[in-house]
Amino acid sequence: MSEVGVGERLKTVVVGYGFIGRVHSERWSKIDEAKLTAVVDIVPERAREAAETYRCNAYTSLSEALDREKPDIVDICTPTYTHKQLVLEALNAHTNVVCEKPLALSLQDCREIIKAAKESGMKFMVAHCLRFFPDYSTVKRLVEGGEVGEPRIARAYRLSAKPGWATWYLNQDKSGGVIVDLAIHDVDFLRWLFADEVSRVYAQALKPRDVKAQTHAQVLLKFRKGYIAFVEASWSMPDGFPFTTYFEVAGTDGIVLLDSRSSTPLTVHRKGGVEELSPVGRDGYLLELQHFARCVLEDKTPMVPGEEAVKTLEVCFAAVESSLTGEPVNLPLEEV
Amino acid sequence: MRRLRAGLISFAHMHAYSYARVLKELPNVEFVAIADDDKARGEEACRRYGVKRFYEDFREMFKREELDFVVITSENAKHHDQAVEAAENGVHILCEKPIATSLRDADDMIRRARKAGVKFQTCFVMRYSDVVLRVKELLDSGELGRLMAITATNHGKCPGGWFVDKELAGGGTIMDHTVHVADLMRWFTGSEASKVYAEMGINIRKQLTVEDNALIMLSFRNGVQASIDPSWSRPDSFPIWGDVYMELLGSDGRLMLDGFRQVVYSSNVKGGPTWVHHYWGCDVDYEMVSHFVKCITEDLEPRATGFDGRQALEIALAAYKSIEEGKPVELPLL
Repeated sequence: MSEVGVGERLKTVVVGYGFIGRVHSERWSKIDEAKLTAVVDIVPERAREAAETYRCNAYTSLSEALDREKPDIVDICTPTYTHKQLVLEALNAHTNVVCEKPLALSLQDCREIIKAAKESGMKFMVAHCLRFFPDYSTVKRLVEGGEVGEPRIARAYRLSAKPGWATWYLNQDKSGGVIVDLAIHDVDFLRWLFADEVSRVYAQALKPRDVKAQTHAQVLLKFRKGYIAFVEASWSMPDGFPFTTYFEVAGTDGIVLLDSRSSTPLTVHRKGGVEELSPVGRDGYLLELQHFARCVLEDKTPMVPGEEAVKTLEVCFAAVESSLTGEPVNLPLEEV
Repeated sequence: MRRLRAGLISFAHMHAYSYARVLKELPNVEFVAIADDDKARGEEACRRYGVKRFYEDFREMFKREELDFVVITSENAKHHDQAVEAAENGVHILCEKPIATSLRDADDMIRRARKAGVKFQTCFVMRYSDVVLRVKELLDSGELGRLMAITATNHGKCPGGWFVDKELAGGGTIMDHTVHVADLMRWFTGSEASKVYAEMGINIRKQLTVEDNALIMLSFRNGVQASIDPSWSRPDSFPIWGDVYMELLGSDGRLMLDGFRQVVYSSNVKGGPTWVHHYWGCDVDYEMVSHFVKCITEDLEPRATGFDGRQALEIALAAYKSIEEGKPVELPLL
């Protein structure tokens, strides 16, 4: 990596121009600290589409992009099962790396990545975007400010129609299923909110006969401090279902509650449908990526280093295990 | 038209006031007597509802009055003796939930009522909500396909008083708030719970000796997976009393039920910066009590029987057992 001088913009390469890659590319293009210099996608037409949209370079392999661009930041937005190899390659080329969640599909892979990140001396972050979402960070601020007193019980929903944007989500071996891919958001947020670790988890999950992944999960978490939480994540909502999230935390002095169904400021009615919108310019994705860029520029530790992400994943893996065995699972899991 | 002679035992449960109001409203009911072991409370209620005779001892009421039916709204642990006495006297029984604090008591109440040939209805008022009835219709029509998962909450504020006395209530928030939605789950699925797992939190209110927050997971025999949050997790300042909320996931659709969302909002300069919610939806207490009266006059089976009360109680008791043992509990318990 080249030294970055004052006023210089961090050369950024996004890898994977699918659902999240498109979101990240658009946000990078708005961040003053960075410049989206290239997008990598194994599908040439997609890479080309990105290049045209953002006037940047297009590549079909990360190696080539690393070689030619010598980027400051690589942002891995590919399917989960490809993360490890790409993250290791980028770290090996001495770039700072931000990787979409979930980091990887086994604790062993996570540990390898963490070790490589540490040895490289580069900045490494896992993109747990919820910590940067304005609504969820407001919850965090309120709870830290004592609005609920000492927390006691929380519940979170994250409900979606079947992911129609890519097929690998509905393959448990590639995405980890709905707990590892979707419930992970609220599990991570709860760990962060409570500043505590989960000590026991119990989960129930549905795997439709014609689908290769769990698509609806109910997860019960008990934290070391004794707080309890219910997390529901679903890809089983009917087609056309508006993505819905809910979060509440009650404590000794009060309650804080957030409901996407009642905080949508814009409703558009068109022939044949309704669209509900909640536009925020500086949304969670932009704040997240900007945070990472600033950590690189100011030599600070990112909000979600690998060590944090693996703790969240451990809870998710335990929840999957519980859903399969029907028994509660105690944490931490035994070292592999 | 002969009017049915009604008695009511105890205003310990706040629902008694609403049921008493309905007893006065129904044209074919004569509200003749109140029994309450709290004399001042009972006499005050007699004045309020224009009921002529008051008894401190419910046994005395059954002896002296020719009652057709009795409403039991005492502390949970007292239901058993009162229901048994009603059955012995051939009086139909409308009993507040939870039906009792033990399965042994519940089974005894049901057996004695059956033996005496009297109706026994458990006050699962939600089965009389028009919103819930529409859900039941939608599910039964098959429009949502096969039911697969349910998530439910029955949140509330802490009611205090005897509700937080284990001897009288049989427990805390799990005993108070599990049974309504557990009953709806049984009704909707047409199945029984086969497995229950629960976790208890640390109390929100330090002074309580019963639990005030918990989370319950259930499996039903027909494969439906479910969860219940029965917690008194709403602070006293909360703008509404709580909720009955359910998400139902079917193979062909999904449904969300928020039982008490039919409200008008108001805000008043004297009330500080807050909304007051004014509920305008159906009067579930009226529908439930009038249905019970109809069951008596037309010899029908109550929509929620003593058995339904017992099965919901079993789920709450299984949650306690799971918490005690730290593992999932298989049902039936007995």
